[in-house]
Amino acid sequence: MNIIRDLIGKSPFGPIVEHTKKVHECLEVVRPLLRALIAEDYERIHELQNKVSRLEYEADQIRHELCNTLTRRYFLPVDRSELDSFLNAQEKMADHAEDIGVILTLRKTTLHPSLHQPFIDFINQVYQVSGTLLTAAVEFKSLAEVSFGGAESRMVLNRLAKLGEEEWKADKMARKLSRQIYALEDQIKTLDIIFYEKILLKLSDIANEAENAGDYLSTMIAKG
Amino acid sequence: MELTIILCTAAIGLYMAWNIGANDVANSMADAVGSGSVSVKQAVILAGICEFAGAVLVGSSVTNTVRKGIVDPSLLATLPGIDASAAATIMVIGMTAALLSAALFLNFSSIWGLPVSTTHSIVGAIAGFGIVAAGWSAVNWGKMGQIVASWFISPVAGGLLAFVIFNFISKYILGQEKPTQSAIRYTPLIVFALTAVVTMATIYKGLKHVIGDIPWLTDNNTLYLALGLALIMAILSRFWVQMKLKDKSDLPISNQLELVEEIYVPLVIISSCAVAFAHGANDVANAIGPFAAIAQILQSGTIEMKVAVPFWILCMGGAGIVIGLATYGYRVMETVGTKITEITPSRGVAADLAATTTVLICTRLSLPVSTTHTLVGAILGIGLARGLGGVNRKVVTSIFGSWVITVPAAALMSMILFLIGKYFFFDMIRTIITQQ
Repeated sequence: MNIIRDLIGKSPFGPIVEHTKKVHECLEVVRPLLRALIAEDYERIHELQNKVSRLEYEADQIRHELCNTLTRRYFLPVDRSELDSFLNAQEKMADHAEDIGVILTLRKTTLHPSLHQPFIDFINQVYQVSGTLLTAAVEFKSLAEVSFGGAESRMVLNRLAKLGEEEWKADKMARKLSRQIYALEDQIKTLDIIFYEKILLKLSDIANEAENAGDYLSTMIAKG
Repeated sequence: MELTIILCTAAIGLYMAWNIGANDVANSMADAVGSGSVSVKQAVILAGICEFAGAVLVGSSVTNTVRKGIVDPSLLATLPGIDASAAATIMVIGMTAALLSAALFLNFSSIWGLPVSTTHSIVGAIAGFGIVAAGWSAVNWGKMGQIVASWFISPVAGGLLAFVIFNFISKYILGQEKPTQSAIRYTPLIVFALTAVVTMATIYKGLKHVIGDIPWLTDNNTLYLALGLALIMAILSRFWVQMKLKDKSDLPISNQLELVEEIYVPLVIISSCAVAFAHGANDVANAIGPFAAIAQILQSGTIEMKVAVPFWILCMGGAGIVIGLATYGYRVMETVGTKITEITPSRGVAADLAATTTVLICTRLSLPVSTTHTLVGAILGIGLARGLGGVNRKVVTSIFGSWVITVPAAALMSMILFLIGKYFFFDMIRTIITQQ
């Protein structure tokens, strides 16, 4: 029993960064998923779907443990509700990644050859957004160590400021890709179109949530 | 017979000092141990030395407050129905009761794991016996009000100071583009402040106990001496930091920050020693204040309050604290050492410097404050400056809870012990006193 020891609770920033990393792992499965779809390797898709779903569950676990330590009992150097929203946004990114895996296992969808490259390009752009967020979020712990001030924080804030623009680019690409998909309406099955659209929406959602998470992250860093 | 009583009360005083050493000292070194700057063993040795030095060098003024500030014996003698020898007897029995009840209360609460302050329990206990011995007017409520106010003010002041100091460190050193360069520039300032505070507290009245009166050591000269010494230390630290951090400003920021934290390792050790020193200075009074009152009355037979606290009694208190630390306190120290990962050396320095300054100022003002609560306030201040990941709110409420319980509980216990003591020993002790 020691009062000083009890006073200084466990810092949530370590587990938060763990959560970020786990979400990153989930997203990293999306590209192989698309490659497997292009290769029409449905067994591989099943494998990957299992993997992403397990990773998503692990991210969930980390989140749950965090919620237990983030009770009102602790004073935090950041706003609790913003931190909550940030974690929520990250959680949703992992969810969407998992959903893409699930959508691909629902039926043997084939991707029209003319859409291969546009989809790969779009995924790259989504990765651009989520990657920027995740590299910034991984810094969260070291930012806490310098009490969210100084050169390192300014660096992270600058990086996050670019998120909006990247997301806007992703949005534009999504609209273009949508038009490309619908242009194929006479050549392929309607169900294929529905599934393309589903995947497209999930990918857009990932970019969207990444931007949201980035916004929460910047406000947390900028003010106490 | 008189010697037997002195020995008995000395034993109770030692028991109280043991309690202080066993429970409180680990807190004063918490920042150094928690940040991993020293091992538990090293911390025990350093704390032992610093506690003893603080107790012996600076411990007398708070001792005087505990001895005669709360229940004033000369005031007691002027109350109707109490003559001089009765007043002296009441003081002897009452102080013994207060000491015993505070020590017992501390022992029980540490078994139950309550964050009880040694200071609060002894002050409560003394006020308790005063009330039951001679009514409300026996207690010096003006002084009591000051003391209680200082219990609120000291954690708040510690928190504010820590907030300011840590903000300074994080803004001007850790948050800069080149932290190593800023550390070279600003670290000497922190060393200056730390040295000035500790030296001023030590030599202002402290040296008198050890080497006797030094005529030229007037208040002004003390100030110059302390500032001079602080300046020398600051300059030395500047060379030392420069040696360590020179040409490192091109490294990545995270590497630079690690180097800066390394610079703060010796500083957090020194500043934690300063907290231990301040703790010894302020808290030794809790154990030996009552005993000093008893010894003085029994030896002279009268209430002569002009006499200073004898040097050997301060040594005894210091020794008791060190024994408590060596026999039990190291175990508490171990629990601190393994759990706190959030305290980095720079945060430790900020908290320690704030707590030391606050406690030493209160010591100078003869106010018994809780070192632990002041340190808790300082750590909260760092939390407010966004320096800590999560600060447990519950500890703060448990501290407030313990305030509300400690004073009445210790007071009640000392009232009962006093009445028992008075019933059995009043005549005997009165005979001894009148024989003197």
